[in-house]
Amino acid sequence: MATKDVITKVWIEEGCIVCDACETTAPDVFEVTEDSCLIRPAAMSADFTKPRTDDIVDAAEECPVDVIQFETVSEEVADAPAVESPASGSPAAEATSEVSASPAADVKAAAPAKAAAPAKAAAPKVAAPKVSVAGAPDPAIQALLRAATARGGAAGVLQSDEGSPAVKAWDKTSSADLPPDAKQSKVMSSAKKVEEGLSRRGLLAGSAMGIGWLSLGATTAISGVAFQRFMMPNVLEEPDPKVRVGPAEVYASMLPGEVNEDFKPQGFWLIRTDDGISALNIICTHLGCIPNWLANDRKFKCPCHGSGFYSDGINFEGPAPRPLERFKIVLIDGNILVDRSKKFQYEKGEWENPDSYITV
Amino acid sequence: MSDLTIINSAMLGEGAIEGIKHVINVMCEPHWFFIISCIGLAVFLIGYRRFTKPSFAIFTLIAFTVFYAVSALDSDFWSIIKKADNVPITIMMYTLGFCLWLGFRQAAINDQNMEEGKPLLEAGSDDKVLVWPDLVYAELIALLLCTVFLIVWAVVLRAPLEQPADPSVAPNPAKAPWYFLGLQELLVYFDPWIAGVLLPGFIVLGLIAIPYIDRNPRGNGYYTFKERKFAISMFMVGFVILWVVLIVFGTFLRGPNWNFYGPYEYWDMHRPAALQNINFSEIFWVRWMGQGMPTEDVAGLPYYIFRELPGIVVLAVYFFIVPFFLRVTVFKKLGDQLGFVRYQLMCQLFLWLVLVPIKMALRWTINFKYIVAITELFLNV
Repeated sequence: MATKDVITKVWIEEGCIVCDACETTAPDVFEVTEDSCLIRPAAMSADFTKPRTDDIVDAAEECPVDVIQFETVSEEVADAPAVESPASGSPAAEATSEVSASPAADVKAAAPAKAAAPAKAAAPKVAAPKVSVAGAPDPAIQALLRAATARGGAAGVLQSDEGSPAVKAWDKTSSADLPPDAKQSKVMSSAKKVEEGLSRRGLLAGSAMGIGWLSLGATTAISGVAFQRFMMPNVLEEPDPKVRVGPAEVYASMLPGEVNEDFKPQGFWLIRTDDGISALNIICTHLGCIPNWLANDRKFKCPCHGSGFYSDGINFEGPAPRPLERFKIVLIDGNILVDRSKKFQYEKGEWENPDSYITV
Repeated sequence: MSDLTIINSAMLGEGAIEGIKHVINVMCEPHWFFIISCIGLAVFLIGYRRFTKPSFAIFTLIAFTVFYAVSALDSDFWSIIKKADNVPITIMMYTLGFCLWLGFRQAAINDQNMEEGKPLLEAGSDDKVLVWPDLVYAELIALLLCTVFLIVWAVVLRAPLEQPADPSVAPNPAKAPWYFLGLQELLVYFDPWIAGVLLPGFIVLGLIAIPYIDRNPRGNGYYTFKERKFAISMFMVGFVILWVVLIVFGTFLRGPNWNFYGPYEYWDMHRPAALQNINFSEIFWVRWMGQGMPTEDVAGLPYYIFRELPGIVVLAVYFFIVPFFLRVTVFKKLGDQLGFVRYQLMCQLFLWLVLVPIKMALRWTINFKYIVAITELFLNV
């Protein structure tokens, strides 16, 4: 018979940085919440903490800010210690082994070691999933790393081999079982009391929420209606689509293939085709840039993406999918009138329309 | 040495420099520029352990800087890089090179360590810091430095103000902001709907989808290339080649009329360059079938659908048959890992990624325009 120090009481001082290390090491004792770490209600009793002495000592050692405190008493123990194996019995301990199903080969490898725990429970750091980190002997850093592993971090994966069974098993696990956070939260939630029914506070909070959403919706709707008003301006400046360009003889005297650029600011070129005059829209049919007429190359060339058109508006290079569009053009008493409100598209066969050209 | 020999040798030197400039101009033509970039990336990815050694990286840095500085002596090159709009590109080439080196250097060390059974660079490191004061202070300092840098930049290099906008005149060349020049370059090869909406949409959706498609835990939290060759290579092709290289190309090598101009070439507005583009439907009906383009409706199909049927079939095969072919050949292992839905999603994104350079290459080689060109419905692919 030997004596051993066992823990009868464990508590947490102020200054916890919520690193999860203690919960990873001893999940049935510690519960790390959003802003602090708590001792689980079950772990308030000495009977509960005594068999978990090793875990708690480990956790206290690993705590980066050393806030885990405990009281110990000496007790006689059998040679084969009656320490409860962390891998057997309590649901929280089961959760630990589930956590070790995370994609860490070493964690997996640690499982058999854990099963052998009763035989050598005195051996240090047997209970926690073991991630060997060379060059980091500080238990605090080890614990942080382990915590990261338990939460699905990569530290464990670092050690794994190409296509190791653990990684493959992890691949096959259904998504419901992943990530390990889900496991942790399951353990946590089982320790919490669930409030049933609708409390007064719940009712108040619910109605406040409802009012909030309603007013948000109402505000959005009203401002939406107000915004609609801007879609209908008081004054809309629309220049007359009809442009008088002067006597037909001027344009009829151009050589076939020649382009008159005088009305480019009005949005069209007047071109002389083999047997007539047409008004070409200056908007490129690719993406709406304004091409330039290159008189030397006898082509329209768009400066944005390099589309090229012959002098009659037919596309031949670059990405433009179709020829430039023609505007309606009519002859009135020897004068030419271009109507920009009516367009004629070549690919639809509309250039055959007599309104799209003037025969000379 | 007589005067004549001096003049001769000077002319020889001059000629040699002109020759080198000419070679570089030719190497910068779209297809060569693209091919050389791809080969460069492939060589880098294959030999990343060697090329990321500090000595080699410093050599590359010095060599590139010397090349750049000497090139700046050329007035045409200098006139391009000195433009206030183009300064970010010079900065980008250096910063991107540094970031690529940094990432692949750590990957190379980690991969080496893994083979030798040594701990990884990241092992034992604790990347958690306290928000207050550590993180907030660091961010504040970074914020101040960035502000200072931007103010100095804005003061030294003035934003180019141009003449008042005129709806009937477009600047020549009309260039998008530098970060969109890659997209603008794609617009040269694709319909606006594809290059302007669909492809950027795929970029955004594809990046969002990565965590759902790629569930391989390797490489999480540590640098590696060996364990994630396919994923990292694909990303590098998409980012470095199809985004960054196209930006550099669009900035430095696209001149008036969106024509190609070599880095040491004068931007001559009137340089002739004519290409007769041709749609797949025309190649099929006119060249292969030896008949005119269909203009009559056939069996209830509108004539334009019938006309473009060959292209539609090609695209259907490409997007619906090829994935299954790849599944049993090159993507056998990957397909097993991903499962059907993930594999199909991955494969569609992959095929779009590959379609872009295919289409560009077709334009460069055979002046190929559109695979499907239903201009009647504004639908061109």
